[in-house]
Amino acid sequence: MIALYLVAAIAVFAAIRVVIERNTGRKLPYANVMNFAVAGTLVLLLDHPLSLVAAAAYFVGSTLEANAVASTYAGGVKR
Amino acid sequence: MIVALQVAFGLVALLGAVSTALTRDSYGKVISLGILVAGIVPFIVDRGYLDVAITVSLIAPVVTIFVLMAVRRAEA
Amino acid sequence: MLGEFLHILAAATISWILFVTVDILFRLPEAGGVSGASAVARDIEAGGGALAGGTMMGNIVCSPDASAGTLLAACGVYVAGIPGGLAAALMVFIGNRICHDPGYAGTTGAVLATFVVYAFTQVGFAATDFIAGMVIAILTIQGLSHTHASRLLARLWRIRQ
Repeated sequence: MIALYLVAAIAVFAAIRVVIERNTGRKLPYANVMNFAVAGTLVLLLDHPLSLVAAAAYFVGSTLEANAVASTYAGGVKR
Repeated sequence: MIVALQVAFGLVALLGAVSTALTRDSYGKVISLGILVAGIVPFIVDRGYLDVAITVSLIAPVVTIFVLMAVRRAEA
Repeated sequence: MLGEFLHILAAATISWILFVTVDILFRLPEAGGVSGASAVARDIEAGGGALAGGTMMGNIVCSPDASAGTLLAACGVYVAGIPGGLAAALMVFIGNRICHDPGYAGTTGAVLATFVVYAFTQVGFAATDFIAGMVIAILTIQGLSHTHASRLLARLWRIRQ
């Protein structure tokens, strides 16, 4: 039970850090911490085999999102 | 869900919504939308709608990619 | 209460060592896998960090690597034992292919972490300790101070060379 509280607290902390950071390139690692924490929360909340799939789908989706933001920020997707 | 966790993730979702509204930078807006989704998904999972959670977490990045295409066109 | 807390701290240390070792062995600090990783590295270096550590942090942001493999493998072991961990490794591999990455670091990390977490569940640890521990480990790398974390990773990378 203490693990769940710890992970939720880390999610809130990382979300606050993302909001107060100004630089886009340095926002993304904080957002990554928040995604880790939320993916951990999904599994800890509900102990069911499909929740592993939900956590993996959430994690891969948010990583893809961060990847797209970072490559657009770098100046266009490489073709 | 436990009340403390509801407060925590509600705070994350609210933080994402407020910072999406207030940020001027277009990349900052997209990242804040990601925070908004991250706050909402645990509520869906807590009710047991795992299929809805999977769908939401697969659709949200695709929407972001479409928004980013608009951002890039506006910059160019 | 206190014992569980100490278990979580020990699990955080173990998973930190595991994922940093796998990432450095697979040469993540050497070059950005995608163009976004180099952009993150550039911004971290502009803020006073080291370039090699920044590149590794950019690679962690832009595609699921050994840290994501460790987290999902711990989740898989918690949900379904060893088969769950191997299913998580498969999902990490698919996620890597989606993000234009070869995906060897993530898959290797997930398979290794499955057996490590399973071994520790036999001696009294719970799999939930490893989930919380991995979140703490990624917090120490990406979430506290980018300057110090990137310098530490660059120093470890110099030892590897």
